[in-house]
Amino acid sequence: MNRADISEHYDEISHCNRCGFCQVACPIFRSTGHETGVARGRLALLRAIIEGRLEWTPEVEAPLFDCLLCGACTANCFPAIPTSDLIIKARAQYLEKVGRKPIHRLLFDHLLPYPRRLHLAARAVALGKNTGIADLAHALGLLKIFGRDFAQANEIVERFPTRPLRDKIKNGAHSGSGQSLRIGYFVGCGVDIISQDAGHATLQLLKKIGKSVRVLENCCCGLPAWSYGDLKAARKLARRNLSIIAAENLDVIVTDCSSCASFLKNYPQLFREPERQHEKAVMVSARVKDVVQVIHSMEAAGTASHPAVTVTYHHPCHAARGQGLTTEPGEILNRLPGVEFRPLTEADWCCGGAGSYAFAHYELSRQVLDRKMSNLQKSGADLLITSCPACIMHLSYGVRKHGLSTRVCHISELMV
Amino acid sequence: MITNQLIDDLRRIVGDAQTSVSRAETELYSYDASLAKGQPGVVVFPGDTGEVARVVKMSRQAGIPFVPRGFGTNLSGGTVMVSGGVVICLSRLNRIIEISPQRRCAVVQSGVTNLELQNVLAPLGFFYAPDPASQKVATLGGNVGENSGGPRCLKYGVTTNHILGMDVVLSSGEIVRVGGCACDPPGYDLRGVLVGSEGTMGIVTEVTVRILPLPEKIITLLVIYDDISDAAQSVSDIISAGILPATLEMMDAPILNAVEDSYACGYPRDAAAVLIVEVEGLSVGLKDQVTQISELCRKNHCRDIREAKDDAQRNRLWEGRRGAFGAVARLAPNYLVNDCTVPRTKLPEALARVAEIVHKYDFKHGNVFHAGDGNLHPLIFFDSRDADQLKRVKKAGWEIMEACVELGGTISGEHGVGLEKINAMRLIFSEVDFAAQRGLQQAFDPDRLLNPGKVIPAFDPKENTTKAQSHRQFISTETQRAIEKKISATIQSAAASGKALIPVGCDTFPHFGNLPDRDCENLYSAALDGILEFDPYNQFVSVGAGVVLDVLQRQLSEHNQWLPVRPSFSVQDHSIGGVMALAACGPERMHYGAPRDLVLGLRFLNGSGQRISTGGKVVKNVAGYDMTRLMIGSAGSLGLITELTCRVMTIPERCSVIGAEGQLAACAALASEVITSRVIPVFVVIMPVNGQGDEITRRRCKLEIGFEGFDKTVTEQLKRTRILFEKTGLMISREQDYSVQDGIFKSTYTELSQAAFILRTDLPLDQMLGFVQMLDKWLPEPQLFLDCGCGRIFAGFENMHNGLWDQLCDAGDRLGGHVVMEKATVDFKAHNDVFGFDRPQWKVMHRIKAALDPQHVFSPGRLPGKV
Repeated sequence: MNRADISEHYDEISHCNRCGFCQVACPIFRSTGHETGVARGRLALLRAIIEGRLEWTPEVEAPLFDCLLCGACTANCFPAIPTSDLIIKARAQYLEKVGRKPIHRLLFDHLLPYPRRLHLAARAVALGKNTGIADLAHALGLLKIFGRDFAQANEIVERFPTRPLRDKIKNGAHSGSGQSLRIGYFVGCGVDIISQDAGHATLQLLKKIGKSVRVLENCCCGLPAWSYGDLKAARKLARRNLSIIAAENLDVIVTDCSSCASFLKNYPQLFREPERQHEKAVMVSARVKDVVQVIHSMEAAGTASHPAVTVTYHHPCHAARGQGLTTEPGEILNRLPGVEFRPLTEADWCCGGAGSYAFAHYELSRQVLDRKMSNLQKSGADLLITSCPACIMHLSYGVRKHGLSTRVCHISELMV
Repeated sequence: MITNQLIDDLRRIVGDAQTSVSRAETELYSYDASLAKGQPGVVVFPGDTGEVARVVKMSRQAGIPFVPRGFGTNLSGGTVMVSGGVVICLSRLNRIIEISPQRRCAVVQSGVTNLELQNVLAPLGFFYAPDPASQKVATLGGNVGENSGGPRCLKYGVTTNHILGMDVVLSSGEIVRVGGCACDPPGYDLRGVLVGSEGTMGIVTEVTVRILPLPEKIITLLVIYDDISDAAQSVSDIISAGILPATLEMMDAPILNAVEDSYACGYPRDAAAVLIVEVEGLSVGLKDQVTQISELCRKNHCRDIREAKDDAQRNRLWEGRRGAFGAVARLAPNYLVNDCTVPRTKLPEALARVAEIVHKYDFKHGNVFHAGDGNLHPLIFFDSRDADQLKRVKKAGWEIMEACVELGGTISGEHGVGLEKINAMRLIFSEVDFAAQRGLQQAFDPDRLLNPGKVIPAFDPKENTTKAQSHRQFISTETQRAIEKKISATIQSAAASGKALIPVGCDTFPHFGNLPDRDCENLYSAALDGILEFDPYNQFVSVGAGVVLDVLQRQLSEHNQWLPVRPSFSVQDHSIGGVMALAACGPERMHYGAPRDLVLGLRFLNGSGQRISTGGKVVKNVAGYDMTRLMIGSAGSLGLITELTCRVMTIPERCSVIGAEGQLAACAALASEVITSRVIPVFVVIMPVNGQGDEITRRRCKLEIGFEGFDKTVTEQLKRTRILFEKTGLMISREQDYSVQDGIFKSTYTELSQAAFILRTDLPLDQMLGFVQMLDKWLPEPQLFLDCGCGRIFAGFENMHNGLWDQLCDAGDRLGGHVVMEKATVDFKAHNDVFGFDRPQWKVMHRIKAALDPQHVFSPGRLPGKV
């Protein structure tokens, strides 16, 4: 379909009058102090390309691909220029002009669309990691996805479970104790392969409120491909998911990955009107809920009693800015008996994980993470709660690396 | 040309990752928040002052120009290279080094943003006064470079009034420390010159700033108008009535709507204009100010007055105001902003002229500005992608500057000249003025490598060499001109015949400085005794330098105003020129500021007898280098000041002192408590009583604390201080009102000035007691005067023995301050430098002297270093 052309967005890009307010909130800029790492600079870069002062060359790769896409710039931008979206489109054009790397083709074209293949790949990695034979994983060539920083990035994931979540819970229908609600559980890749405790908890939770819970046979939501600028691959994944979801008779589609949730809600934007896919996407996305929303609306939530514990909360970018879920987590935690909720300073700042960003940009990501950890330490909380598996993985790494005793877990885990 | 060799050298200094050379990377350093553009050849990000110095040395060796840059948010093109060169980005120098409430100062690196500092200070109960609207992203180094203002500057003054010192890398690569947390280092006010020099004189890597206790209470009003001229008139009326709110900001309809479209800040969308008025201070009496302000606004037909109910509402109002420049991006891709300042009473006229000009060029505009300072910010909306619009908008901007200069204002109040306004400098200064300013710049940067092509336009022989096209910010009388001409002739003949001159006002304090190195004749300014312009509504006065302070105060008092200075020592008949040339002030400085904070502009005759103008008559002015501050305190070594424009204030309703007696240690502890508390004393002074023989800390002392202002507030502060005294067990010795012009220290000064030697020591506030103990050991019963609010100690004594001077210099230095022998015997002066040890920054002073007075006509030998 349509080729990427950033000059279609010339007006939006020109609206940056370089006030610089994005600098205050950009985690990358706060770490590096380089204009290449902030919205104002990236927009200036795009403007220079459109106006012919710069070419699509590998010189522009770092400024375009070093962005976390956390969206904090837009939240601090008075004219609200959607820089993350523009960056994604620019990445797409960059890939067209300069080319995709083979490893990305492997990942987005051949692995993510197919859960079974992904499981196999994950198993290979797990085997490599857990047995310390990292060479094996290397040999499979898989980890080159993560680029030159891989040696350090390897430390980020502590252990891979050897079997995916989907092998432990059955795909298909589970009956619940709720009255009438028919729930579809969208299992994100992160929950499937890594944060499986969250997945078990979510399923248990959903079974309490739904008459039926169907574990969907979905593939990757497409966000990683989309973020990377591979819009075609993302659309392919989305189409696959849409047909899987639309085939079921569901009242609500719940996911416990805030990144998946925000992207599923954005599916309509992937397709132009009046495409049939667009219509389908509108129907499906209207029924998508982040598990945080589900918990927030559950009257009975939080009846589980907890030993006295202090918790704090990290807002994933895709929950806070992606879905506007800023007050819900605090409200949930505040009504839990025995839980003392201490808000985290800069709670909605990106943790630096940003999906797979941390693997490809280890050094930048670590600086962003250090800031998060120093805020965490000041909070003095026993538990750090969040709602995105990529954040959980990265925050857990931060906690280990900084020698903190805080436990990181998914909000679902606190509810059961 | 930037060679690969230079790039390799720079990489070796800062590292590969901190050197940017690609087209893409340098493109991102080709702009700031203004319309100026210019691509650098290389960008480096040094990690400390040492790396900055090495980068500078390397660039200088290669003959390549360089410019310091923070976060690049300035609005005049100040950090954009004219062509090629090295951008030295200080964004990595982002550490807060020290916060010291006891010393009322903080030390931070240049790349720390204004808001980061505020956020660290607030929990300690302190704040840093300048608050540019871009404070979230404006670095303090940038604030220093541009002499930034902000809403709060109405009450507190701009950046230069709050910078105490800095570490500077000179264009030679040498690192010097200028000033520090102790007041008034010997010699010229280099920090005054450096602040606002737009990165053309040095690279500031670390700054020491003054911090102040947070006000006890803040009341924020949103005043809504259906007509913008009513709003402007209200501003003028409030200031004329002698009320000094902390902020007095105006926004008009286009801005209000653009902001509301971005965030719901609670602005009325249907209003023509709003004022954000904030008053702050002691809770007692604050409501009265609000009532007074409200009455004046109602008189001017405001529609509604809303008071912010809580911090959240207040923050929303400010969030919108601060985001206004960003928000207008909703209206058009670009804006051109002027930041002319006009006398406040001219605001309605200025706004109308702006509207006319914008309309003429077929643009739309909005106003969001510091109305209380008369500092306009008309934002003209356009699209820089359209070449014709770009041309027209620049014309409109130029005409706005012309109009404001015509109204008695200046071309820039706080954004700086940079590239954008460089040609407009000719609207206010002449070639002769420029020559002096270029001389000053080259004293710092002889090779012209630091940010070249900024601030001062290049020499143009076609331009009139003696006067600017429209010198409207100075009013002169014929008598004044005639006398100036005569004096100028005297200077010229002295210069020609190799004679030396000492400028003299009323000759009330002839002791200052080192001995002249050759015979000098006195050059009197007494004949320049005319009050040239007094504008009580805009609160400034222009006077000849020979006007006697008492005479001026009498004149001002007829309009219930005064010049808030009570100079030390010579207690009567000072000429105003003398007070300013010596920067003489008393302990009231802690509240009213020093002479450097009171003078808006001046004229002087330089070593060639040329008449040089600096500054103007508006309260905010960053057009050109700050030669005004250079001249204040220059002690007649750069020229003869002939005319001064000073800001004046409404006479306080009541001045009252509360005094107590007790041991020095107890008095000092209490003084320190008062200074960091919420009361706002005008002076805090301790005077030990001699003849008791005790160890100094146990010696009986008099502690005097003064309050001036509204009767109600003074009464409340006296009450609180009394309670403090009683709690500490200090015996209250007196409570008494005094005359605003005279103060209470006249007799003390008279007594002190009888001494053969007067030592002035300036120290960090918490080091005073330590120094006094040493003084007491070394000197037989010195007569002491401790200005605890400013960290200044005067000691009068009769004899000096050999070696003592070195000891004193040493001690001052060790405690982070400095000593100056304000008065000494001829014999002492013959063998010593009254300013103490040689310091590296004195070399710069000597170069400034050489630039402005090449023949060494004025007070030769008087300066630090006996130059």
